[in-house]
Parts: sequence; C-alpha cells; structure tokens
Amino acid sequence: MGTYKEELIKAMDILAAHPKTIFIGQNVIYGGASMFWTIANVPKEKRIELPVFEEVQAGMSLGLSLEGFIPVSIFPRMDFMLLAMNQIVNHIDKMDEMSDGQFKPVIIMRTAIGSTEPLMPGPQHCQDHTEALKLMCKNINVVRLENADQIVPEFTKALQADKPTILVDIPDMYNKELENEFKESRRKSLENL
Amino acid sequence: METKLTKEELREFEKWCVDIYKAGKLRSPLHLSGGNEEHLQAIFKDIEEDDWIFTTYRSHYHALLKGVPKEWLKQWVSDNKSIHVMNKEHKIVTSAIVGGTLSSALGAALGIKLKGGKNRVWAFCGDMTSESGTFHEVTKYARRNDLPITFVVEDNGLSTDTPTQETWGLKDSGPNIIKYNYKRIYPHYGVGVFVDFKDDKGEDRMEIGI
Repeated sequence: MGTYKEELIKAMDILAAHPKTIFIGQNVIYGGASMFWTIANVPKEKRIELPVFEEVQAGMSLGLSLEGFIPVSIFPRMDFMLLAMNQIVNHIDKMDEMSDGQFKPVIIMRTAIGSTEPLMPGPQHCQDHTEALKLMCKNINVVRLENADQIVPEFTKALQADKPTILVDIPDMYNKELENEFKESRRKSLENL
Repeated sequence: METKLTKEELREFEKWCVDIYKAGKLRSPLHLSGGNEEHLQAIFKDIEEDDWIFTTYRSHYHALLKGVPKEWLKQWVSDNKSIHVMNKEHKIVTSAIVGGTLSSALGAALGIKLKGGKNRVWAFCGDMTSESGTFHEVTKYARRNDLPITFVVEDNGLSTDTPTQETWGLKDSGPNIIKYNYKRIYPHYGVGVFVDFKDDKGEDRMEIGI
C-alpha cells in the first residue's frame, strides 16, 4: 500500500489505461491545483483543458458519456463544483430515472476538499459538501476518500459502475508529501548549478 | 431526413394530447407545440438519422420529426413523462430545466469530433435561454472549437408568460460593456516562486499553492 498521493496516482493510471476515459476540466494540462500532480502519468492526448465554466463542464461530461466516453471530470475544489450543481443534481443524477433506464451515464467526477495547510485559503476554498451531495443525489455514488487504502478500489468501482460517481479527495492528506518533493527537487537543482 | 409527417399530422398529435389532458387522464404537465410546424419541417430536412437532438420540455414535434413512432410517444405521454421525452434509439435527449441540455449537447458534439464522426448535434432552446450565460458559453466554445453542432432558437418572445425582451431590456447589451486587454505581472495566485516559512509549530514549510 502506498501513500495517499501514490494511491491517487495509481488510480489515475488505472483510469487512463481504459480506452474510453477522457480527462477534462481545469488544471488537467496546466498546473495550479494539487490534483494536477496526481495525473502526471495520464497521456496528454487523453486530457482536455477546459475554460472555467463548471456547469457547462458537468453537462459536457454527460454529453461525452452519451457518445460512449467515460469522462473523468475534474473540479479542483468542491467550492467550485457548487457552480455545476444544476447539471450534477438535475441532469447527471436524474438521467437514468428520466429516461426509464435507457441512458446510464458512466461519469467519474473528481473533486477535493481544499487544503487548509500550509496556508488557510479562507471560507470559499476549503468547504466539504460531501454529505450535502449525498442528500441531493439519488443515483450518483458519492465517496469521500478518507484513507489511502480506499482510493484504488473506489476509482476501480467507479470505472466499472453503470452509474455516475463523485470522488472527493483530501489534499491535506498529501500536500505535505508534494511539498517535500518540491523541496528535494529544488535542492537537487541548486546542487547542479 | 425527409419527414413524411404533414403539418396536420403534427397538429393531430398535439390535439390527441389535449384531449387526454382535458379528459383528466394525465397527472403531469404538458408543454405543447403549435404554429412552428413548417419551421421545424424545414430544419429537419437537414437532420440525419444518426444525429443527436437535444431539446426542451416542449419536444413532441422534435421527437416525431426525428422518427419516434407516434404510438411510442403516446405511451410515453400517457405515462406522465411528456416533460422529459427521452429516446435512445432515435437519439433524443430533453430536460425540464431551462437551458438544461445545451451543455450536454456540447459534450456530445465534442465526443463526435474526438471520434472523427460524421454526424452532428442539434440543440434546440427558447428565446429566454438564448439570452442566458450558458447559451453564450456553449455557442462560443462550439464556434471556437469547430464542433459539429447547430443551435436552434425557437423564439416565441416568451419565457413561460414573461416577455423575454422586456425583461432583458429592448436595447443591445453592447454599450454597457467595457473590455480592456492587459498582460498580468503576477500569476493567478502567489507571487511566482515557492515561499519557505515556519508554521505555528516552528516547522519549516513551503507554500506551493495548493
């Protein structure tokens, strides 16, 4: 069993290996969020960087699924995912029911509870709405990834499901690890000067 | 696809809906079309069998013109589901939320382009939706990324009973918008370098923007 970050990378590698997956969202090609570092091994041709339009992104995920893709739709923080609630709650969650089971979209939505260390980002960047999402969604499986050992099994389950899944990760579980990697990388580059 | 349905047959379908509704046989709302038969017949001449139709809660005409059998649709309406007609075989998706299908239509168009498909997406909406932020986002993205999608605005001047142009203002929206271009000197967050600091416990930390 690896660390939280290592397990996330392993899970993303599993998703990337599936021929139908496509990674979309903000910070999938360009950095800026901790999640970015966990998709480092995902081939560039499987990533589409989108504008910041969360509701459209969620709807696009649904449309891509209708065309046979399995979108891995990335919302870097749960605070931002709130802007997509119309598509998530009214559409993605209800598609199976509204179509009498004709459409069963498989969509993997990934989001995070913003980290509070080493900086406290303020009340709009670290909210955890996991329980509220569970109350709002009848069909979407909502999972908060509390421990490293949950990560690969839950993403694998999402990939094999016949329904959408929202997986919530906790960057406070792995940003210290990233921090140390950056420090080490900088130390090495300074040594090479 | 060349429709075999006449204007009269389209109207007959809606009249059937009116009759069962009036007879108290439905337990769900109905959103009926009428007066746009010829417009839709002309548009559907360019729509192919393999194309997607994304539309609204007012969708009986679209479904019939796309080839959904009348009897299938009658059963769907009788089952109190007129507000969200869905048919996988004929590739029809609807939503009872204003503007609800525009972004999924966009995603389907992106999917077709990624697969190199020859079919396309047709996204129908009303005039109030065409003034919404989502409409502007999806049409802009579709145009700039050359996606195989056509948007059709069905303008009856009203959203429910609200006059669209009266609420938005009858003038162009242009004059009250100012745009300027600039090149930023700082990144989106932070100052462009990783910053070392000691946290409350005196531990060495580094701000890495997460």
